[in-house]
Amino acid sequence: MTDHATPLSPLIHLVDDDAAVREGLALLIGTVGLRVQAWADPLAFAAGFDRASIGAIVLDVRMPGTSGLALLEHLLKQGVDQPVIMLTGHGTVDMCRRAFKAGAAEFLEKPVDDEVLLEALQNAVRQHVRSRERHQADQQARERHAQLSAREREVLGLIVEGLTNKEIGRALELSPRTVETHRANLFAKLGAESLAQLIRRYAALVDGAP
Amino acid sequence: MTKAWRHRLAGLLLWALVAAAGAGWLAHARVEQLRAAFDTDARIVHRLLSQRVVQHDAVMATLALLQPPVPGAVADTAAASTLPRLPSVYPQILAVLQRPAAGAWPAAQKAALDAAEAASRRSGRAEMALADLGAGRYHLVLAGTPASYALQIDLAATVPLDEWPMNPVTSPVRVALERAGQSFVVQPGRRLDRMGWHFSVHKLLASPSQPLDVVAERTVTPAELPWWAMLGWCVLTAALWAGALAWWRQRVARQRAEELLRLGQVARLNTLGELAAGMAHELNQPLTALLASTQAAKRLLGESPPDLDTAFDAMGRAVEQARRASAVVGRLRRLVERPDLAGQAHPLALPAAVQDVLHLVEPELQQRGVALVLEAEPDLPAVLAEPVALQQIVHNLVMNALQAMEQVPAAERRLELHLARQDTGQVALTVRDHGPGIPAEARERLFEPFYTTREGGLGLGLTLCESLAQAMGAQLWLAPAAGRGAAFVLVLPVTAQAPAAAHPAAPLHTPVLP
Repeated sequence: MTDHATPLSPLIHLVDDDAAVREGLALLIGTVGLRVQAWADPLAFAAGFDRASIGAIVLDVRMPGTSGLALLEHLLKQGVDQPVIMLTGHGTVDMCRRAFKAGAAEFLEKPVDDEVLLEALQNAVRQHVRSRERHQADQQARERHAQLSAREREVLGLIVEGLTNKEIGRALELSPRTVETHRANLFAKLGAESLAQLIRRYAALVDGAP
Repeated sequence: MTKAWRHRLAGLLLWALVAAAGAGWLAHARVEQLRAAFDTDARIVHRLLSQRVVQHDAVMATLALLQPPVPGAVADTAAASTLPRLPSVYPQILAVLQRPAAGAWPAAQKAALDAAEAASRRSGRAEMALADLGAGRYHLVLAGTPASYALQIDLAATVPLDEWPMNPVTSPVRVALERAGQSFVVQPGRRLDRMGWHFSVHKLLASPSQPLDVVAERTVTPAELPWWAMLGWCVLTAALWAGALAWWRQRVARQRAEELLRLGQVARLNTLGELAAGMAHELNQPLTALLASTQAAKRLLGESPPDLDTAFDAMGRAVEQARRASAVVGRLRRLVERPDLAGQAHPLALPAAVQDVLHLVEPELQQRGVALVLEAEPDLPAVLAEPVALQQIVHNLVMNALQAMEQVPAAERRLELHLARQDTGQVALTVRDHGPGIPAEARERLFEPFYTTREGGLGLGLTLCESLAQAMGAQLWLAPAAGRGAAFVLVLPVTAQAPAAAHPAAPLHTPVLP
């Protein structure tokens, strides 16, 4: 089933208690180059799946032991960030609303058409990748920001507010030359190549800083 | 006290009240009727007696006019000679006495008659004398000039029996004539001192000369009340009451029946809804797998180069799932229509049939790591069964056993099948698992439709098994709890005929109902 997938391709977690359904869907998902890990037992899945993986989760609503909706709520409470696609045999409006309210990315009815499922999966994967990247960038920015000295943070704050070196010097009672040195250090430590980039990446951190 | 009893008691009291009121009214009406009759009788008696005593006044007045023409005639003899005919005309007049102008009343009665004559002379009308009402006798004296007359009256003969309104012997009314403590009993009536309603009328006779008090009295005893009518009324009201109660109960029962019918229809709709939901799920699973497999195959074939091997596998799975969906539909059909399996039953070898099912489920047994124990008594007789139904029952029982053992560690999973001859000569197949067993509360309801202990289960598997078994004359029951796990026993009728074929009908894949 993984013939068409590379080890680094996104991983889809497929949770359904019916072996035939698992096999069929896994085969179908595999044809577009996605890796599939199939789970028969929802509780085993919740306990054992790789949370760091990039990809998405496909959950059957009706399963023994726990309902798909309960599992979905549990996963989101645990901070799982993979988008979840719900599959149901006979979806009611109420069930659908509950699923979206709980944070489902998609709600599809069985039997599901290949294009619908695959498109939903690809959207979900793209969404997850972007969310992970954004998360990673935020993480990097926070780490770099933490390396700044107290004075450099003051200077960064004033730069973000749009003050010139001269104005910053006056405000902090520093010579323009000293301000210039701090500014050069700032750009180097934060890895910013332009003023615009610096402001875009770090404005949020300045606002949130004490 | 329960509500029903309070209602019953209230009803009883109400009936008693109605019955008592009606009976009381009947008694009252009877008493009033008797009182009216009594009053009428008393009036008639008074009038009749008055008429008779007034006659005495008239006779006396006539006598006064018949003064003897010859003064000085001998009183007794003259009177005796002129007046003997009077008593023959008036039987109540026993004797006529005359005091001649110069004579005197007979010596024996002189004093009383003299006093009466003097009183008569004062009042100007006849006066009573020598009254002996106990004997019914008195004298009536009218003073006249020159002669005075006296009549001796017999009260008994005064009573006009031919016109009398009552039977003087049997009538319950006592009639008496009273005066100055004396009393003449006209008719005795019945005893007056008994318990009951007492009527009495006192009225003086309409003759100033004979002021006798007519006293009519009677007592109506309880025995004279219309007991039969009163009893009849009570019985009638009781019957009406019972009838009304029965009608009401019937009405309530009918309403309840209608309610139950409505509930039953709702329940039936719900059941159908459940069935439909269950079937939708049952069908959706194979359809989902089928659709996914065929679409995957299509994609694989569209690749360049096409992945023929994987596509071939996918199509194989699609075929399996199509069969599975078809089996679900078939099961639904069998569930809805009860085939006459008894007619299709024929002799077959039970061990072979069981082996066929085990062959079907072998992959499941291996996958779940279940140890299989099959024990069959040698030389079992052929059983009478419909092969497909038998296969379905056994398959369901085995699948139930496997699912029951999902909760125990793989090392402990053990499926036991025993084939043995019963004391009754029938052959029994026992399917025992080593699962957690069946909780006591579930044991009784296990064969009820839509009862399930499995989440998401339809609760029709065992129901179907039981009805299939019954339809072909077999019995299916849950063995009493003993040791671990649960055991189901299928008892099949036997036949002396040899099995028709070594292998029965081609095995039909019949997945168990969830």
